[in-house]
Amino acid sequence: MSNAQRPTPNAQPVRCQSLWKLGVGVLGVVLCVSAASAQLERTSDGRFVFWPAESPPRPLQARSVKFPPYEVRMLPNGLQVITVLHHEQPAVSMRLLVRAGSVQDPPGKVGVASLAASLLDQGTVTRSAQAIAENIDFIGGALATGSGSDLTFVNVVVMEDSFDVGMNLLADVARNPAFAAEEIERQKQQAISSLQVSGNDPDWVASVLFERLVYGFHPYGLPNSGTPETLSAITRGDLQQFHRRYFVPNNMILAIVGDVTSEQAFAAAERAFGEWPPAEVPPVTVVEPPPLTRRIVIVDKPDAVQTEIRIGQLAIPRKHDDYMAFDLAVKILGGEGANRLHRVLRSERGLTYGAQADTEARKQAGHVVAETDTRTDTTGEALRLMVEEFSRLQRDRVSQNELSDAQAYLAGSFPLTIETPGDIAAQVLNVVFYDLPVEEIGTFRERVQAVRPDDIQRVARQYVRPDRLSIVLVGNAAAFVPQLQRLGFTDVEVIPIEELDLMSATLKRDTRRADSFGPFGPSGPFGRVRSGRLTHGQTQGNPRVNVPKGRKNASGLSNGRLVIERRIKSVTFKTRIDEKLVDQPL
Amino acid sequence: MRLCFPVAIALAACAVAAAALTPVLAAVRPPKLQYEITTLPNGLRVVLSEDHSTPIVHVAVWYHVGSKNERPGRTGFAHLFEHMMFKGSKNVEPDAHTSIVSSVGGRSNAYTTEDVTVFWQTLPAQYLPMALWLEADRMATLRVDDIAFRREREVVKEERRMRIENQPYGRLSEIIYDHAFTTHPYKHPTIGSMADLEAASIADVRDFHGAYYVPENATAVIVGDFDGAQALQLATQYFGRVPKAGRRVPGDIPTEPPMKSGRRAVVEEGWPLPAVVVAYHVTYDGHPDSYPLHITSKILSDGQSARISRELIYNRRLCLSAFGSGNITEHPNLFFAVCIVQPGQTPEAAEKALIGEFEKLKTEGVSAHELQRAQNQFARDYILSRETNEDKAMHLAHAAVIHNDITTADGEFDIFMKTTVADVQRVAKTYFNESNRVVLHVLPRETGR
Repeated sequence: MSNAQRPTPNAQPVRCQSLWKLGVGVLGVVLCVSAASAQLERTSDGRFVFWPAESPPRPLQARSVKFPPYEVRMLPNGLQVITVLHHEQPAVSMRLLVRAGSVQDPPGKVGVASLAASLLDQGTVTRSAQAIAENIDFIGGALATGSGSDLTFVNVVVMEDSFDVGMNLLADVARNPAFAAEEIERQKQQAISSLQVSGNDPDWVASVLFERLVYGFHPYGLPNSGTPETLSAITRGDLQQFHRRYFVPNNMILAIVGDVTSEQAFAAAERAFGEWPPAEVPPVTVVEPPPLTRRIVIVDKPDAVQTEIRIGQLAIPRKHDDYMAFDLAVKILGGEGANRLHRVLRSERGLTYGAQADTEARKQAGHVVAETDTRTDTTGEALRLMVEEFSRLQRDRVSQNELSDAQAYLAGSFPLTIETPGDIAAQVLNVVFYDLPVEEIGTFRERVQAVRPDDIQRVARQYVRPDRLSIVLVGNAAAFVPQLQRLGFTDVEVIPIEELDLMSATLKRDTRRADSFGPFGPSGPFGRVRSGRLTHGQTQGNPRVNVPKGRKNASGLSNGRLVIERRIKSVTFKTRIDEKLVDQPL
Repeated sequence: MRLCFPVAIALAACAVAAAALTPVLAAVRPPKLQYEITTLPNGLRVVLSEDHSTPIVHVAVWYHVGSKNERPGRTGFAHLFEHMMFKGSKNVEPDAHTSIVSSVGGRSNAYTTEDVTVFWQTLPAQYLPMALWLEADRMATLRVDDIAFRREREVVKEERRMRIENQPYGRLSEIIYDHAFTTHPYKHPTIGSMADLEAASIADVRDFHGAYYVPENATAVIVGDFDGAQALQLATQYFGRVPKAGRRVPGDIPTEPPMKSGRRAVVEEGWPLPAVVVAYHVTYDGHPDSYPLHITSKILSDGQSARISRELIYNRRLCLSAFGSGNITEHPNLFFAVCIVQPGQTPEAAEKALIGEFEKLKTEGVSAHELQRAQNQFARDYILSRETNEDKAMHLAHAAVIHNDITTADGEFDIFMKTTVADVQRVAKTYFNESNRVVLHVLPRETGR
């Protein structure tokens, strides 16, 4: 084949008109230049090549996209069972979801759900922790447990010839955890040491403090892994009570995914869980999230080289008629297919590696959060630009083109979200967990495309309040607070990182040393600081943070597990579908 | 070595196993990958693997250049250059690659390692021509603009701050490699140093593209829902017109001299808990010894019943987190163990325990039961890491580029299954020696606000 081959019919330029349909209209100006023949082009190393000026080639014929078959049944005891069959690889995974998480923590005992989850595989009434580990490891399986604000999970993956072993193990750890005193002590120590590490990670501190500002003392605002104090106070009785109350079959969903038959899957579920009697699940009452209030809290970490920024507010829960429109509005602000924040902060100014916004919609409530990190001396500029994007979203009608780009990605990427059996199961779990109509899976693309610019404008005006944003900055406060003041962000609170206390109404640990001088002298470098002054000492203290999923795939300590990664990715995109279900291991 | 990443599960730990009671269980065998490999006249290799289960396609282009190809004073350049590949080419506007792909519901990204730079996109299947066209356009006609370069350099500096400098233990890998290597470019991290990033110039961008981003140095892997003949025709059409460089791709990389005696160092960082590292120089990916080394990684730290997890985390509560594993790459690299030391425990005790685990491998070896467990875990990793088109492309490309033998993508399975306890002990005795060892204590810096 000649290197200077002329374009074949497949490579002929498409007309601008069809490019607009593809949703790349904004790029069309240069792409649409005439491209009749190849031109001589100089390569980077000085050679010459005939290279045509042309537009992207036409697509091939579109394949039909169908959501793969799945089944949802309910056992007589109320356990919901989902099966997705897939026979390409000889593996089966099982995901058990319990509809209880940190929301169900008893008052003053934040961390019960999280500690209980970490203890599920650390011994049952018939198997020791080491026996469970040996069992699952030897058969080449994997088992993971964990919890979030609304759920607790146990995930098991095994090869198809160990399906029954895996199912029995899953049922045993879910039904019969021993909560042995020695294991409780061990897991408490792990949790407390992990908090010491994550309390020094600006990314995690920013995320948990932001949620505390948005939700106040609603459980979504509290660190669900607990604090050293609350963890220490948790007793074996607390864990047993949590388990007894909420781990009942009518409060659970089980998904069985992979290389089994439907009969095998349902029979195994029946065998492992069928005779477990249902029980009434006590309701929980929680405090309401506070009304939207403008608040800027700075966590001072003098050795930071970057500032972690979170900006956002309370919005809507997952099950809400405006969810689709609101989610698209947030994607225009900072999601795939659109992302004004990325363009303004990264592409146009090089202020950050990544900027994005997300709808974080859960059972009881939801919020929108925009996040980025930027070097200390550009903190003020980045903050100003982000706040302006919230204002713009609320103020200006989005164009049809910009909405179409976001819709094109969201609807077009649907086939990418059903590639693996785990992906498929996650989507079914989502609708079942949030009590959404199951038809929603099949109508996803139509519902995306039905949103109009008017809808975006309506939800933006209804829910977005740029004057009442919660703002968190974690970094070297002394170096960037003056920038903020020049830009009019004067009403800020500054808290030294070691004095941060999420369980305190003031967010500050009661140090009884509030009058001590900071490194900047008695007045500090700041003008109007509402509360909190930089103080000496407190090297012992560690802020109380939970261990949320890290957004960064890099070196560091994640959930107490050391991750060393030497590869570097270049463009950040999250591939999340909904809330946290898809992020779970396995 | 792609098949060796452990399934990502938080490590808790576990005590002694009742080995004798567990029946021996042969690993489930994963299905073989189906593929075709072709070399175009310009030297570009094309690997095709059809999978019609979902109407999507994954296209990856692997350039055989990574941070080990960087010259002194230009660390971080391979990755910085990777960013520049998104800054436009003759028919594609700056930053448009990503938006063109997302406008059809596709995803695209890139990454750089010590050994390779990989560009990929996953799209609905009918957009295969677009993906090939985009990749060919930037391979042949990258735009090189000074303003865009300077702005992107700032982005990469933020990336370094975010990933490496601003989070606890972010610099650990950098510290380990800086102490363990003297000569080979594995000494420096892929992200590079701030000073070198700052020193990079637009002329470097041109040189790098001309030297390494040529068809002879590239492998395109296409996995998904397509007709093989049509895909080959499209790949030929778009990649085929990229001219060959016609000269040798530079590949002279200094070798690391063997250590004459062990090294140790104590450094301070602003991290909350001490970290202890015990590292040994080992061999390269594909060397016969590399397979027992991978087995050793599993025996030490895959799962809560693995030796380091059980002994150092669970039984002795020495470490909050700990592991020992080989980073086996194209050139000889390291096998290292890390312990994040629990409050109340000492770095000295952690060092002794980690070295003790390596010594035990040499003196006592491993049991047949442990070996079988590791092999079953391998089978699991093989199976679970071949679910997506992207996964499959990664295995095929890794075999083709790093091993220069695509048959290893499946062929290594048997090597692992045939590894013996004697192999594991022999390899431990070969590499885990004091004269070949680097020990580091990274202690929390006294701050004092």
